[in-house]
Amino acid sequence: MAIQVADRDLERLESLWEDGLSEAYRSYLEAVEVYEPAAQPRLALAAALVEVGIRLQGLGGRVAAPPTLLIGDLCLARSSRLLADAAPQSVQVAFARAIEEMAWAAASGRAVPKTRELLLRALDAK
Amino acid sequence: MIGKRLRFETKHPTEFVDLTDRLRDEVRRAGMRMGRLHLQSLHTTLGLAVNENEPLLLRDFEGLLERLAPSGASYEHDDFERRFDVAMNEPVNGHAHCRQLLLAGFATLLVEDGELVLGRWQSVFAVELDGPRHRELAVQMDGDFSLSPSGWGLGSGAPELLDLELSRQLLVDPEPVAAPMRRLVEAGGKRLRPKLVQLTAGIGPRSEPLRAAALAAAVELLHNATLIHDDYVDESTHRRGRPTVAAAEGPERAVAVGDYYFAKATRLIAEIGNRSVTSTIAEALEAICASQIDDVALRGAYPGDHDSYLRVVRGKTAALFAGACASGALLSESTPETVEALRRYGDLLGVAFQMADDLVDFSPSSGKPVGLDIRQRVLSLPLIYAAEDRAVGPEVRRLLAGSLGDAEVDRVTELVTSSDALQRVRDEAQALVDAAVRELETVDLDGLRPTLISLAHSAVDRIS
Repeated sequence: MAIQVADRDLERLESLWEDGLSEAYRSYLEAVEVYEPAAQPRLALAAALVEVGIRLQGLGGRVAAPPTLLIGDLCLARSSRLLADAAPQSVQVAFARAIEEMAWAAASGRAVPKTRELLLRALDAK
Repeated sequence: MIGKRLRFETKHPTEFVDLTDRLRDEVRRAGMRMGRLHLQSLHTTLGLAVNENEPLLLRDFEGLLERLAPSGASYEHDDFERRFDVAMNEPVNGHAHCRQLLLAGFATLLVEDGELVLGRWQSVFAVELDGPRHRELAVQMDGDFSLSPSGWGLGSGAPELLDLELSRQLLVDPEPVAAPMRRLVEAGGKRLRPKLVQLTAGIGPRSEPLRAAALAAAVELLHNATLIHDDYVDESTHRRGRPTVAAAEGPERAVAVGDYYFAKATRLIAEIGNRSVTSTIAEALEAICASQIDDVALRGAYPGDHDSYLRVVRGKTAALFAGACASGALLSESTPETVEALRRYGDLLGVAFQMADDLVDFSPSSGKPVGLDIRQRVLSLPLIYAAEDRAVGPEVRRLLAGSLGDAEVDRVTELVTSSDALQRVRDEAQALVDAAVRELETVDLDGLRPTLISLAHSAVDRIS
């Protein structure tokens, strides 16, 4: 299954595409099949951006250097905009709760739950 | 100068509505110490009077009005066959218009020591002459304010609602994230962004203070979340006079707390259930993050140039000002023209605010250490102008190109202060505020225009 990602949605993050973002994106395509065709690429990309963003930031591990942290922040912000544009309210809320759960665990010194599992569950919140 | 509308219902054809206590409350809420409160009736059958609130005397006044302009008399105004453009529900009220001519349509009351100046027996009345009706008075206040007037115009209790909502949200969060955020929130800050949300959320027909407070609190949490990451990136040790989260608890905690509140704020906004609002704030957040990347990248060519500065500041600071203004207006279902005018107002105000903030770095009386921006190589318009200056520019550029110890920072500060850079920035910020105010001229703001104007001026007043 190949779904085209809009250029605008990758703006300034193009270099991440070959660095794990495309793999993460593909891993969410099946989970978004229940959504309107037009929303599918944006939702899969939103999930992939959270996954890559959290990893880049080093959440729950060794924190990234400032420039990399900022790229991670942009991934999360872009994901938020994609969800605002394409996701139902319940999915927006579920994504936010997933990040809250990971961030809370990291702040508490606990093991951070697996991002992909949390986000696949969030995509089920339709 | 700040302003708003006072609204009330009348119940009788002729009625003296005592507004004294409401006006006293407005003066207190505005924090006006010395000045004038102007009242203007927005109706042709509603007058204003200052007199004694004694029931028998009020009946005397009513009797006097009846004798001077009897309700049963003949008035040409009531001869609808001779008039043009008569509305279907046009009332027979020639007597009421004539009575209004005997009263004032406006009043100015003095304020001293934070109180209305009224004699022992004086009360301020709106005089209904053709009730029952829904009535409005325009109110403006100008003078000296002991508090920032920006809380005024928000409606009763709006700042308190914001405080309560922020406290409530922090109360339900787990301590490892709530404690650092609580310290930051309680340390103060100007809270301009949530104020803008609450103000603009009162403009449209769907004004709901609780929803506005929820959105305002989310915007403030989002802003603070970005500051927590910024402080790690900038290696800042203090913010609002307290250690930063990164300095006090380490970068790992700072990144986690920032992420938690980024997510929580976006969730709170999503839960409000207005897609336009959600998109507006999400776009602002994206602009902030993108410009942070530019900001750090530009430090290699420090101090940069005017165009780069504007591009970064539009994203880093102005995007959330614009988003706050637009989202509040969207929440209250304002017209698209109003939303866009407020978005432009917020954008211009945000840039002016950042310029004013840059100037604070050169002000010994600001309470912040002078030269901190220079030391941290933060983008700063006064430095850009000083570096372009024919006289001091070469030395400024040479110093900024090397390592910056105390002596170098002091010398750069001295050079900037001796040039016309500070005045140029001050003038530019003022011009932006003027442009922001002009954006408000063409749309209906339900009486909040003076408050928004005052807020805009306060953004640069701290540097004048």
